[in-house]
Amino acid sequence: MFKLHYWVSSCAIPGQLELKFYSTMFISHSVSTDHKDLIHDVAFDHYGKRMATCSSDQFIKVWEMDSENVIDGGWKLSATWKAHSGSVWKVTWAHPEFGQVLASCSFDRTAAVWEEIVSEPNIYAQTGQKHWAKRTTLVDSRTSVMDIKFAPKSMGLLLATCSADGIIRIYEAPDVMNLAQWTLQQEVPCKYQASCISWNPSYTRERRCVKKAFTKIPNSDKKEADERSEFDGSEENPMKFPFHVDKGDKYIVIPEVPMLAVGSDENSSTANSSRVVILHYSSYVRRWHKLDSVPSVADPVHDITFAPRLGRSYDILAVATKDIKLFTICQLIGTTGSSRFEVTPFATLEDHNSTVWRVSWNSVGNVLASSGDDGCVRIWRLNKQTSWKCVGTIKGDGRRLILPEVINGGMALAKH
Amino acid sequence: MHKTIFIAQEGPANALALNKDCSRVVIAGRNVFKIFVIEEDEFVEFCNLRVGKNLNLNFSCNDVAWNSIEDHILATAATNGAVVVWNLNRPSRSKQEHVFIEHNRTVNKVSFNPVESSWLISGSQDGTMRTFDLRTKTATNVFHSNTESVRDVQFNPNSHALFASVSENGNVQTWDMRKPDKCVLQFTAHSGPIFACDWHPESLWLATASRDKTIKVWDMSSSKPTMEQTINTIASVGRVKWRPQHKYHIASVALVVDCSVNVWDIRRPYIPYVAFTNHKDVATGIAWRGDPNVCLTTSRDCTLYQHVFKDATYPAAQVNPHALALSPQGHIAFACKVAPTAVKGSKIQGILRRTTTSSEEFWQVSSTLNFLECSRNKDMNWLIQFAERYILTGKPLVEICDHNSAVALSLGRFAVGMMWSMIKTLYAQDEDEGLNLSFPPIEEPIQPRMEETRLTKSSLKENGKSRSVESNSTDNKYRRKSNADELEDSVGDFFFGDAEMDPLSMEFEINHLDGLITQDWTLQPEAFQLRQEIQDRSSPPEQFHDHDSPDGMEEEVSRINEKWKGLSVAEPLVPKMWDEKYSVVSALKQHGTNGDVQTAVCILIALPPARRQALLNLIDLYDQEVWLLAYISLLNQHQLFTHANEIIKLAWIPEVNQLNQQSTTVNISCNQCSKVIPQGTRLCGNCSASVTCSVCHQVVDGAYVWCQGCMHGGHLKHMQTWLSKNTLCPAGCGHACEYT
Repeated sequence: MFKLHYWVSSCAIPGQLELKFYSTMFISHSVSTDHKDLIHDVAFDHYGKRMATCSSDQFIKVWEMDSENVIDGGWKLSATWKAHSGSVWKVTWAHPEFGQVLASCSFDRTAAVWEEIVSEPNIYAQTGQKHWAKRTTLVDSRTSVMDIKFAPKSMGLLLATCSADGIIRIYEAPDVMNLAQWTLQQEVPCKYQASCISWNPSYTRERRCVKKAFTKIPNSDKKEADERSEFDGSEENPMKFPFHVDKGDKYIVIPEVPMLAVGSDENSSTANSSRVVILHYSSYVRRWHKLDSVPSVADPVHDITFAPRLGRSYDILAVATKDIKLFTICQLIGTTGSSRFEVTPFATLEDHNSTVWRVSWNSVGNVLASSGDDGCVRIWRLNKQTSWKCVGTIKGDGRRLILPEVINGGMALAKH
Repeated sequence: MHKTIFIAQEGPANALALNKDCSRVVIAGRNVFKIFVIEEDEFVEFCNLRVGKNLNLNFSCNDVAWNSIEDHILATAATNGAVVVWNLNRPSRSKQEHVFIEHNRTVNKVSFNPVESSWLISGSQDGTMRTFDLRTKTATNVFHSNTESVRDVQFNPNSHALFASVSENGNVQTWDMRKPDKCVLQFTAHSGPIFACDWHPESLWLATASRDKTIKVWDMSSSKPTMEQTINTIASVGRVKWRPQHKYHIASVALVVDCSVNVWDIRRPYIPYVAFTNHKDVATGIAWRGDPNVCLTTSRDCTLYQHVFKDATYPAAQVNPHALALSPQGHIAFACKVAPTAVKGSKIQGILRRTTTSSEEFWQVSSTLNFLECSRNKDMNWLIQFAERYILTGKPLVEICDHNSAVALSLGRFAVGMMWSMIKTLYAQDEDEGLNLSFPPIEEPIQPRMEETRLTKSSLKENGKSRSVESNSTDNKYRRKSNADELEDSVGDFFFGDAEMDPLSMEFEINHLDGLITQDWTLQPEAFQLRQEIQDRSSPPEQFHDHDSPDGMEEEVSRINEKWKGLSVAEPLVPKMWDEKYSVVSALKQHGTNGDVQTAVCILIALPPARRQALLNLIDLYDQEVWLLAYISLLNQHQLFTHANEIIKLAWIPEVNQLNQQSTTVNISCNQCSKVIPQGTRLCGNCSASVTCSVCHQVVDGAYVWCQGCMHGGHLKHMQTWLSKNTLCPAGCGHACEYT
């Protein structure tokens, strides 16, 4: 029992000046989840073939794509279990290289790592349900754990969590085959209660550079004396790396700098600094540090996501607050291997005109989807690397999709 | 109006009780026993009962109760097993009226009968309950619970002769005061100790609080109690108290971990309706002040608080009501909160704003999950189609380019098709100098582009007449559409202007000029697009400065300038005078930065190594690596594993090549002697038998599939057919093979 709704959007083909309009069609299927309370998160696995949902009813459900199933948009319930003793806020998939692994975080102040058991087919064969075993419970937080994310695959098996008391924790599984053992790498306290966290994408652990590619970091607004101290690698400057020169004196190898962006939904009027904190990892001292320059966001932040970085040399960070703010974060590497980050506001997308709750990127990083209190899902596309265009709006109360204005808008544009 | 007020004490209180008209509160603990008058904005100490020269264990209280009728009578449960009655009307400083020493161990709870004010009941750690008559000052009855300890006793407000008791083994018992020999009914309510219970003021509901982190509500109206609801909390529950005048609301405090005082709506048993988060340590006792919007609590942090609803936090209003995810295929999963009005089909806008303070809206909440299937995702389709149809190696460059260009055009990606054509035009002569190129119509656009850009250079007007005729039309179009910046773009034009000297384009002009003009009508749309495309690729000067070392750039420019001078002196046409590298590199970078790593990687792979290296020298090594890895991970994400592996194999960076050498090693055992067969051979070192198919007994050369249980296997096809009919191993070993 599903209804068809057509939604036409117009998108520019990237890399072309002339705007070409083509239509994308979305068919809306309502999935009956049988969650007893609010659904707080939904996550696709690496391949987009499985989907996990979590809810305040303390359950996690895993869904599998089953093309024969016309009900529920082709999604078939594969597993459902009570995961926590409080609302489950977020659920996230590990890279499939580590197995079928989920991590969840909850109001009950714990985070948990789950693994699908595949070797006992007989027990669950009758129901067709899969069994997920709890591999570990991370109990370090003294307040509700608001978000949890696996690090990019290239960094190994790492988890970052953030709590309502503003403490960010980074855990590592030293042995990727043993999901039961996690060591707390570091705790970073932040000023405000945290609500969301995101790793920057990275494909390698090390960044190999041709020697001459090193540029002198341009003078910032600091005084010259500060500038000099920035390069001498003293204690205050943990961002100087021990880098080694590759054989043949050709390359310089410096570690890739992982970053974590943390958003806060602190609402108090007394809080006056930015609700976004960026941490970066210094492999020299093996610590996470707060970045001095932060994106200036003065309103509560509900979601934060780094865009996948295909071929781009800088990162794009999307922040869901009372509107959507986009920032670029550019890492400049100096001649001595020291580096500096430049955070630049990139765009502000205000079409929602209300609180924006979630932002999500496509796998290429050129399309952003957002949902807001106006009840719309909006789809944004990067146009010519400079401007963002809302190319689609899906309105609805979740039951009913109203044809968006974009159709008319798109056609009008095409006529000109 | 009531306010949030608090007072700190020298020690933590274990319990509190309010008097009949809720104007005074007594708190009792190990080291504290005081009565306060509740003023509008403060607690005023009325009386300290912990006085006298002999402060023995009778003053150390686990619980306190205030007589509901006689306002001057109090009772406490002492840790030494005494039940102490206090009379506030006593003239002396000590208000102690009577001490009942009946219990052997600590008394956990005391309660007055709500109707018969002289009846007092106590529950103790020794597993018994005792009733006392204050008029006669005697212990009237003993009730043996047959459990280790009784944690709470509460009179049924509806029939005063009945009371309920809960104990540490998880049992609930109800008793009739007149029948001390046997309980009325008994049932197991929890898997762990029950710490507290509370009768609903109106319904026949009993709420129980347990260490198993749940609050359960039981319907006690029949002889078989039924569970109405379970509330899952995050910690062991220490106390529960129904909220007056609100049938479904109950307050709870935790024994450990959770310092907040939660008020739940039992119809939504997952998120507290209201939370009071003032305490710094766990709360120990709750009392409602008659008014349903005011409650008092004591805590281990030594404070006594009066909480009011207007200062409370509403946890449900702060939670994230939306969930959104994009799949690699471009589908969207979107879950959002739906308002109760929408459920009923009202016309009102469905999405609930953040004003969820009304309790009706609070519990009627639900989420819907919508899966928005993206049925015509071009980006996705392109990626997969290209990955599957591109030829990257094993053929002459011309063929590769032609094929790939045709693939791109067939899918409507003119820019990419153009790119391949350009590569062919630029590099094909490497492989076959004498090749007579026959341009397919799709490539013709490249020509007007070059001509037109050239013609913007006024210095080079010595070209044929026919060409300038043709250029007029294109040039006009160009000027109409482009903005001033692009026209002034010296770098790009410079190079393309130079391209005029490319022997290939010259040849093309001569051979196909007529055709071009006659085909003008078909060319128009494409020609425009492609011109734009090239402009776009080569133009932005910043890109050059960004990525190339400035020195090298200047050098290059000056070198070309020299040649330029030479040109004007009518130097004969020399092939490869135009250094195409910069244009190609910036085109590749353009694709890469736009997220189209596929085009960048595939073109680089398809090029002959020498050519590729020339280009790579201009691209940051890190960028190259990221392009490759990003493309490989994209292919993996779409489960195009073979294509990903092909890229890994063809990659020009050794670190990337190594990726597929880090995977698992698979050992094959001989199915005759079970010894491991060495890598790279099909012969068993032990018995010299080769790997044969268990079904057809022929040597397997190719895909060999085997059961991990018995190590027998064979041709994939044969095993599939065998197992479709059989469950046992075809080798006859008797193992029930499992292939997952």
